[in-house]
Amino acid sequence: MQEEKKYSEPELVMLLKQRQEAAFSYLYDNYSGALYSIIQNIVTDSELANDVLQEVFVKIWKQIALYDAVKGRLFTWMLNIARNASIDMIRSKGFQNSQQNRELQESVYEQAGTTSIAVEQIGLRKVVHQLKPEQKQLVELAYFEGYTQDEISKMLDIPLGTVKTRLRTALIQLRQMLKHH
Amino acid sequence: MKLDIQAYIESGVIESYILGLATEQEVAELEQLRKQYPEINQALAAFEASLEAQAMANAKQPPAHIKQRLFKTLHEEFDDVAITATQPQAATTSGKVVSLFWNKYAAAAAVLLIVASAGLNIYFFNKVEKLQSQYLALVNERNSLEAGLNIYKTKALDIYNSMQLMSDPNMLKVSMPGIKGKENNLATVFWDKQSKEVYLLPNRLPQAPENKQYQLWALVNGKPVDAGLLSADCNGLCKLKNVPDAQAFAITLENKGGSPAPHLDQLYVFGKISG
Repeated sequence: MQEEKKYSEPELVMLLKQRQEAAFSYLYDNYSGALYSIIQNIVTDSELANDVLQEVFVKIWKQIALYDAVKGRLFTWMLNIARNASIDMIRSKGFQNSQQNRELQESVYEQAGTTSIAVEQIGLRKVVHQLKPEQKQLVELAYFEGYTQDEISKMLDIPLGTVKTRLRTALIQLRQMLKHH
Repeated sequence: MKLDIQAYIESGVIESYILGLATEQEVAELEQLRKQYPEINQALAAFEASLEAQAMANAKQPPAHIKQRLFKTLHEEFDDVAITATQPQAATTSGKVVSLFWNKYAAAAAVLLIVASAGLNIYFFNKVEKLQSQYLALVNERNSLEAGLNIYKTKALDIYNSMQLMSDPNMLKVSMPGIKGKENNLATVFWDKQSKEVYLLPNRLPQAPENKQYQLWALVNGKPVDAGLLSADCNGLCKLKNVPDAQAFAITLENKGGSPAPHLDQLYVFGKISG
């Protein structure tokens, strides 16, 4: 990779809002890896993960005007775009079909809330994997599979209030783990 | 009511918000609170930073062909931007021979620009005026809300002061129920045994007619002594005349300004001091 100019976050945002191609190229070089990890945490098929990554950067480019620095960091905004696009992908019909075929072939997936080992060794999911089993399951379902707390409550037959408190506790735990990372 | 902001921060709501797991209501609440409490912003920033640091440290480079594909997809957009950005330069490089020809067009364009700009001015002027009147309406609304709030503040303060008075250990409470035929009426005297101050609470008394006023009497050794008039604007506990000694209190309805002696046919409530 060639040596690139380093931008501060406000500078980068300003240049992106001015639609500068060089800034966008820098953004891609800097953040595509981190976003690719989170996408792969959710979309396990690497061909489809590649498609999602491209889609995410197209969205970032088209929606950069909507980004509001007061609300949070640029990365947080992009992370949410990546997560949402990935969840949309696994909810889509095409993905569900390809998943069924895969399960028939090699049964990589054990049950809802758990995923193949490889996925648990990268990115944020690696940290989540270190949580207690009951906490891990909730974060997996809520964050990586995009189920609402209501859906989780029905799925696991646990009261909604318990889902909420357990998830909150898990997130606090996750924060501690990230801090000491 | 003070929010325990540390407990709020430690509740997991910060992480839910950043990770996109918070409900709409939680999001709205947090966005409201973060404006008031810088601690919330600090906690948000700290979690965002550690989340980003972990993600960057665990980045997994995507295959190189994706970037090429992406930039090819977006290329048309980049080109559009590039063309619009370079257009003015192209205009200035036109030759001298045609400059007169271009000047005419430039003049026409300038006139058009002025007309368009005048139109925009009118448009924005109207918009500004509209916003200004909306702003004034909001300011007025805010002022009237604040005035209303001040009324409640004063009332609350009155009630608080009344409660302080009533709970004073020196305060003697004399309940004055309605006399026969006026059983629904009720008034209460609070009498400070030390300072001899008298406060009246007209719990249930009919509205006094325009030319009349209620008058409180202290009965001292069987003789009624004037203890003051109840003013029309008394809401809650009102201070009347000091009474050095009494065995009972009574209220009569008298002509405005009061009477030297009570009209006993106008007696409303009566209460003896117990003990």
